[in-house]
Amino acid sequence: MKLLVVIVLFGIGFALLPLENALRTERLQMKYGGAHVTFQLREAIGQNLAIALLAGMRGIVADFLWIQGHGFWEKREWLRQYRNIEVAVTLQPQSIMFWDLGQWHMAWNIGYGAFSDPKNRTKAEAIKREREWHEKARQFILRGIENIPNRYELYFTMGWLYFEKLSKDCDDPPCSEAFCKSADYLAMATSYPDAPQFVPRLYARALEKCGDLKAAYEEWKRLWRLDHSTTEQAWSIIEREIRRLEDYLQIPNQQRVFPQPTP
Amino acid sequence: MTESAIAAPSMSRERVGFSAHRVSVIAVNTLTEAVRQKVFILFLLIGLVFIALAVFFAQFTFGEQMKFIKDTCLGVISVITTLIAIVGTAQLLPSEVENRTIYTILAKPVRRFEFLLGKFCGSLLLLLLSMAAMCILFAAVLWIKEQGMIRELSQSYVGESPAAHVEAQKQIEQIQTEVLDVELVKALVADLAKATLIASVTLLVSTFSTSLVFNVVVPFMVYVVGMLRGTAAEMWGAHRLFMAVLAVFPDFGLFSIADEINLGKVVPWGHIGQIVTYGVARTLVIVVAAHLVFSRREI
Repeated sequence: MKLLVVIVLFGIGFALLPLENALRTERLQMKYGGAHVTFQLREAIGQNLAIALLAGMRGIVADFLWIQGHGFWEKREWLRQYRNIEVAVTLQPQSIMFWDLGQWHMAWNIGYGAFSDPKNRTKAEAIKREREWHEKARQFILRGIENIPNRYELYFTMGWLYFEKLSKDCDDPPCSEAFCKSADYLAMATSYPDAPQFVPRLYARALEKCGDLKAAYEEWKRLWRLDHSTTEQAWSIIEREIRRLEDYLQIPNQQRVFPQPTP
Repeated sequence: MTESAIAAPSMSRERVGFSAHRVSVIAVNTLTEAVRQKVFILFLLIGLVFIALAVFFAQFTFGEQMKFIKDTCLGVISVITTLIAIVGTAQLLPSEVENRTIYTILAKPVRRFEFLLGKFCGSLLLLLLSMAAMCILFAAVLWIKEQGMIRELSQSYVGESPAAHVEAQKQIEQIQTEVLDVELVKALVADLAKATLIASVTLLVSTFSTSLVFNVVVPFMVYVVGMLRGTAAEMWGAHRLFMAVLAVFPDFGLFSIADEINLGKVVPWGHIGQIVTYGVARTLVIVVAAHLVFSRREI
């Protein structure tokens, strides 16, 4: 009888292997799950959290580390916070929030913390350290985009990082190449129908700062031509920008969206 | 189990057919006994307290709060149902043997299979009951949080321009969408299937062991091994003998979809259906195996 029980248990185990494998493949295709418990991960999160991870509480462990990282931020313990951010995205690589806020902490908070560190011997060292964190944030979002390539959020985040931070990281700021890169990422974000209304507006601004005023003008015009009754936009801002660029680019009156009144 | 709970038909043991009624009577009695147990009440209380505490995730932004609340509540529901499944089922048979009530029941025209199935169904009712209690509180926590956030948001937009009010209305709608997320049901269904499976494993162990500690520890270890099966398949999938040995353990990692649902992913019902099918198939076979052991066991 014992043998029969063992045969039954193994038999169903084998019989269900194709279903198990199909489910695993489906999970892989749909990018379910995060990192597995490895020695390195166990070292990083500690024994207690590793046990929680084994019990299937990946979300709670990631949240706990995030909250702990928040505490480190308040205490200005940047490196500890950075480690927690990295582990949180390792556990939940599909969380847009962790990638988005993680890069913000790196580029804005930790970057500034490194810049204003009294241990910096020279201003050059302070700038160098701040730029290193900006670069870390850039690399970080790139990994985020690899994990979540089909949403607008991280493209926008990257565009914003280039627009706000990396555009100042050159010898003679503002660096127009950074704005061009920003425009590339914002163009990607704009192509998603669920992108909020400020995303295409920022895209147009990035194009202008990149030096491509014509493209910026075209983007403002594209926005203006959207159906005003069904699309929510800041129409007054768009009108103002179109008028400004039409004057600046000296667009002929008959080609203008807002022709000047003939005297 | 009380003797009077089981109606004794007048026919002889040999002629007794399977009776769903007897199974249901045993199941209801098992549930009644189980809910009176301190360990069940303790686990359930711990779960409810944890879920209620989730409402205090207040120091973060709106998106974070909802994610943390849902992660915590779903995680607690998963862990507590697993613990109740193990501990609740582990003592079903040993307590009957220890209290000698099993002799009275099996002396009646009650098949051993009916007895076992009744016990298992009682355990499932216990899981359903505890899960329902935790889900109700979870819904209440979400509702309280939703109302608080909407109130806070409305106050912050008082006296603002009409455009700002439109923006506020959008945010309110987003909060309501986050709260009324029907996708959460899928996570709960998968959790229930997982708990049912671990309960069947516990039932099987308890059919050949009389030690309560053994009955609790072994299913827990099976659970941990099952959680690591996905990793093992990825890392040592080429080692066929090793994987063949592991095939006896259910892959509990396949039931973990709460994280994905919480991150805004849409998990297809087809995938849930496959998970449930897998869980039910495993459960049925393990219950049959438990019957095979229990039917030959000397009591």
